Amino acid sequence: MMSAGSNDSNKLDAKTIDVRGLYCPEPVFRTKIEIERMTKGETLKIISDDPDSEEDISRWVNRNGHELISLNKNNNDLEFIIKKAK
Amino acid sequence: MTSITFIQSNKDKVLSKIGNTPLIELKYFSTNKIKIFAKLEWFNPFGSVKDRAAYWMIKDAEEKKILKKDKSIIIEPTSGNTGIALTGIASNLGYKVEIVIPEKVSEETKNILKKLGATLHETSDDLCPRVGAGTDQSIALAYAISKPRPDLYYMPNQYENDSNYLSHYQGTGPEIWKQTQGKITHFFTGCGTGGTITGIGSFLKEKNDNIKVVAIQAQKNHLLQGLRNFEESAKPDLFIRREKVVDDWYTATNQKSFDMVKLLAEKENIFVGPSSGSVMAAMQDYVNNYEEGIFVGIFADDGRKFQSLYLQQNLFSKDEFNKYLNSCKHLPQLIYQ
Repeated sequence: MMSAGSNDSNKLDAKTIDVRGLYCPEPVFRTKIEIERMTKGETLKIISDDPDSEEDISRWVNRNGHELISLNKNNNDLEFIIKKAK
Repeated sequence: MTSITFIQSNKDKVLSKIGNTPLIELKYFSTNKIKIFAKLEWFNPFGSVKDRAAYWMIKDAEEKKILKKDKSIIIEPTSGNTGIALTGIASNLGYKVEIVIPEKVSEETKNILKKLGATLHETSDDLCPRVGAGTDQSIALAYAISKPRPDLYYMPNQYENDSNYLSHYQGTGPEIWKQTQGKITHFFTGCGTGGTITGIGSFLKEKNDNIKVVAIQAQKNHLLQGLRNFEESAKPDLFIRREKVVDDWYTATNQKSFDMVKLLAEKENIFVGPSSGSVMAAMQDYVNNYEEGIFVGIFADDGRKFQSLYLQQNLFSKDEFNKYLNSCKHLPQLIYQ
């Protein structure tokens, strides 16, 4: 398991989207849609099993000025927690 | 925004109007011995040459029982006329449509698509940079959405689908042959998917191998919707299959194409889209190289969708745009107006 940080309260509050079974660029596209619907400060949990989404989602979050709170790997699943920062 | 619904009697009426578009002579550009004609494809019910390919691709999928009424979703990556045509026709036939479109496409086009009932997925270049930019992002997303769900989604893919070619081989080509009474000597059209040029070109060459087929591409970094530059982007599979029908290539510049849009409005009283300006530019250049002939060019769409582009390029002022819109001939009312 790898973590880019941890914040249990954010994890509990986060809205979750499960994009397992979908592949690039759909996981990052679904992430973008959900983030756009949220308000600043809210968090989103994304569960993906597409290996490419690790790079795609992380890069998209950084480029667009949001915050990747954590990235956990569990077998084939990737679990991102993202905070909408603007 | 109110979406458009079709009642059954109107559905049949609308779809029966696809094809059989008028061919008019452009007398200002014709000479004593060379007659120049334009085939006005915006007379198709959803406003462009793409109605033909869209209708044939959907009917083909119906015949192959790929599509199921009230269940199937048609998804296509497109930035313009194909999306409008697919949405209009599919909505008529009872299918939902999702269009994957670059977010930088004009609001005019997006609004038409929404009005016709499409769900839009807008892509941006930063989504997944490794697949490319612009339409390449849209193509990647459309594949990603449709491939894992074949029971629900059908992607016609105009860049590979032979029905695109056939719509012109069996439709537009014979129409031109009949309308010119077999006297056409030169055929001109723009290239995007390659369906129009290979379909019409193949038919005409079978009738008379001496007919010259001229393919028009855009300059690099162009503003000519519907055309491609084949140094910037690869030729689609559909084009490569029958590329041998092309005799000559002409590269249209933005400037010359826009000049022709204006000249056509001023001298011929017709209001065209940018790619028709490119086709006109090619035909005018060729007039100087031949002593006699019957030239036919495909005018893919009219200028109504291009207000923001034409104003931005200082081609027309807003007043001039409205003046031509109201005074030009050959502008039938569109379904989505």
